[in-house]
Amino acid sequence: MRMYETIFIADPDLQDEGRSTLFEKFKGILGQEGGILANFDDWGNKKLAYEIARKSRGHYVCMTYGGTGPLVSELERTFRLDDKILKYMTILLEKDVDPEALQLQIDAEATARTEAEAAKAKAEAEAEAAQAQKEAQTSEAAKVAETVEPVTQEDEEEEN
Amino acid sequence: MAFQKRNPKKRFFQRRKVCRFCADSTLEINYKDAKELRSFITERGKIIPRRITGTCAKHQRVLSTAIKQARTIALLPYVGKLN
Repeated sequence: MRMYETIFIADPDLQDEGRSTLFEKFKGILGQEGGILANFDDWGNKKLAYEIARKSRGHYVCMTYGGTGPLVSELERTFRLDDKILKYMTILLEKDVDPEALQLQIDAEATARTEAEAAKAKAEAEAEAAQAQKEAQTSEAAKVAETVEPVTQEDEEEEN
Repeated sequence: MAFQKRNPKKRFFQRRKVCRFCADSTLEINYKDAKELRSFITERGKIIPRRITGTCAKHQRVLSTAIKQARTIALLPYVGKLN
């Protein structure tokens, strides 16, 4: 199995729904032809360095996957047929990859990502809690200060 | 050297250029990083020769492929505009 990286530029004027069905179609082809999707990176709308099909912007998507030659030719054939794809490019990353090892690596990365997200969420929640506590403390302190102040003023007056 | 000997006044001192990618091994040449690659092309979009940038032969080869790949996918221009 080989590792490939395909970048394609989709129509920037496409609605989100149409775009997601389009992406699902390509993912389906990947699955059919026995490919393993390692990473699906949506770069979003970017300015093109030169106009393609009279469009100066494009929706970039970068896919990294493991697969074989026929998969790439099938994928590129669908790209060519689809007029919502402005341009595509496939690059060979690695010539020989063990499919099982790749799957394991992807799973490990996925779990690491979810764990990282969970940790991040937890940290944020803790930070928020700490912030809330701090605010509560400061407001309490302010209240205490308010209550204390008049007394001191009175004391001062008495001394005078 | 011969050139320097003939014109000792004109080419008095020329700083030895070092390959940026050899000096810092953490730097990686990636065709997706258009911002980094832009420093190796002219305003017209031409690849700057390595006698100007000081890049070593090995890295210049990788660099030129990266620039050409970036051009293919419209991250860099084939023909840049002046101004």
